[in-house]
Amino acid sequence: MACRDIVEMISDYLDQALPAGERAHVQIHLATCDGCETVLEQVRETVHLLGKLDEERLTEVQREILRAVFHHHVLG
Amino acid sequence: MQRLQRGDEDAFMDLVERLGPSMRRVARMFVSTDAVADEVVQDAWLGVLQGLAKFEGRSSLRTWIFRILVNIAKTRGQKEGRSIPFAAIAGDDLDQPAWDPSDFLGPESDAPGHWSSLPSDWRGMPEERAEAAETMRVIGATLETLPPMQAEVLRLRDVLGWSSEEIRNALDLTDTNQRVLLHRARAKVRAAVEAHLRS
Repeated sequence: MACRDIVEMISDYLDQALPAGERAHVQIHLATCDGCETVLEQVRETVHLLGKLDEERLTEVQREILRAVFHHHVLG
Repeated sequence: MQRLQRGDEDAFMDLVERLGPSMRRVARMFVSTDAVADEVVQDAWLGVLQGLAKFEGRSSLRTWIFRILVNIAKTRGQKEGRSIPFAAIAGDDLDQPAWDPSDFLGPESDAPGHWSSLPSDWRGMPEERAEAAETMRVIGATLETLPPMQAEVLRLRDVLGWSSEEIRNALDLTDTNQRVLLHRARAKVRAAVEAHLRS
């Protein structure tokens, strides 16, 4: 397998979602390929940065409508 | 969970805050407008409240909530006359490589499929640059350009930390679909960060 094929497996490799045979194959390739090893680190860093992304917040209106749904259910 | 089942408002509102933005985005994939998506979310929470007493905990709470949501969203979409093909929300290029083929040497070269130029090592970048507000803005902007199902799988997994199994069950995806969507989404965000750090 060439680098072009290895990178298509890189996400699964990172998540330890590859079957054992494929995992070993990727591992062996990474040991001798700077390019693919760099890509693995890039994807790892990308995941790390995503973890720092702020999630959207509900608007005040959305929140209060849902609070009203709750009250209505509890009272009804 | 017990607080919820006892009717604790704070517990409910806490859950609403945590899951609400995702639920809104997921609902929006299946219906025609933001307003309808809001209604779907409200109906879903009502369904959650009504079903809470019978929730047995065989799935995680948030998976169960999302299944209620997706059912309501799909039904509402059908009533609107919308039948959303998977490709419309997931992207229609799922069978294509996620990586730019021009990064690799072609069949005419000595080493087909190998790197034509090496990717840049971000570990050499100053930490402050990589995590700067501008980089985060690029990431956020890239998410907005993704097909919504790719964006949501990425958010649930890498922003919010859900397991693959929870995401599959919540969004009714096969394992293969979920993996492909995650891979493509990560690849696009990676490419955007790379382009930004190189600039």
